[in-house]
Amino acid sequence: MHSLGCRLRRMNELSRAQIRDLMAQVLKNQDKELPADDAAQLREIGFRSLDFSELALRVEDETGEELNFDAPGLRRIATVGDVLDFLVELQHQ
Amino acid sequence: MSEPADTQLVPPSSVVLVSGGSRGLGLAIVTDLLDAGVRVAAFARTITSELEKLAAEHPDRVHVGSVDVTDLRAAQSFVREVEQRLGPIDGIVNNAAMGQDSLHAHTAADDIARIIETNLTAPLQLTRLVIRRMLAKGLRGRIVNITSICGQRGFPGLVAYSATKGGMDAATRSLARELGGRMLVNSVAPGFFASEMSAVLGPTQLDQIVRRTPTGHLTEPVEVTPVVRMLLREHTNINGQVIVVDGAAAI
Repeated sequence: MHSLGCRLRRMNELSRAQIRDLMAQVLKNQDKELPADDAAQLREIGFRSLDFSELALRVEDETGEELNFDAPGLRRIATVGDVLDFLVELQHQ
Repeated sequence: MSEPADTQLVPPSSVVLVSGGSRGLGLAIVTDLLDAGVRVAAFARTITSELEKLAAEHPDRVHVGSVDVTDLRAAQSFVREVEQRLGPIDGIVNNAAMGQDSLHAHTAADDIARIIETNLTAPLQLTRLVIRRMLAKGLRGRIVNITSICGQRGFPGLVAYSATKGGMDAATRSLARELGGRMLVNSVAPGFFASEMSAVLGPTQLDQIVRRTPTGHLTEPVEVTPVVRMLLREHTNINGQVIVVDGAAAI
């Protein structure tokens, strides 16, 4: 039962590249561009904490799985790569 | 309900029940009350070595127990034990609470329910339990609810937590009316502590609060304990109030 649940979740899981596309859409809606470089600083591209919320909710919409998380993890996020890592990781929890 | 005022004074509390008394502010309150000569009953989910040490130092004046504040039955039997060992309870400090550190949109629905159960339902039920016993015995007493500046000011990541603290502040006012001067009911609302539950705010937010605080520092438990003691022990006619202890950070 448990392993089936896990497998179903894995099937719905978004790849890092898919999450990157969603992140680009969130920024595009604000007339901002997502740089190709994972090391790009969120502060410089204007990706704020509520943008992160929006992105997480878009991932939820795609996968049909709620992604709940505490704020401390969020505070450590500084780069585009951090955002993608965080959301890839979160889907495994 | 307008009835003739009860003009008899409420005496200082002599046996005080402190929930969440094993660490942080709760432990500081227990320590301070013992120093003031009060008999103290403290419970917490987990009894720490610090609380055990206090119990060993004052065997005749302290009663400790491992009780989860949301377990009403366990709280009930603890209250009975306390009455047998220390005498009737005539003071409560509702201090046990759980923190929060998650944006509302990303907080699991179950976690919201758990925060409300621990921080609002449980203290209301514990208060009910104790005031029923006090009223039945014709005792007068004091109730102190430890709330938070979050009950009055907004902070991100603390939505459900703030709701419970504001809820307890509101209950404080209505309970003060309802108990018609037989019991003095007040809230003490500290600002953020540097330690413990203030892990709820990140270092950047805490730095910002310190910068905006006229006294230039975050609140320490020892700055709150004298206020709690005053509300439990002094003749002040303070009733139904929320006393903020935050160095004017929120002013």
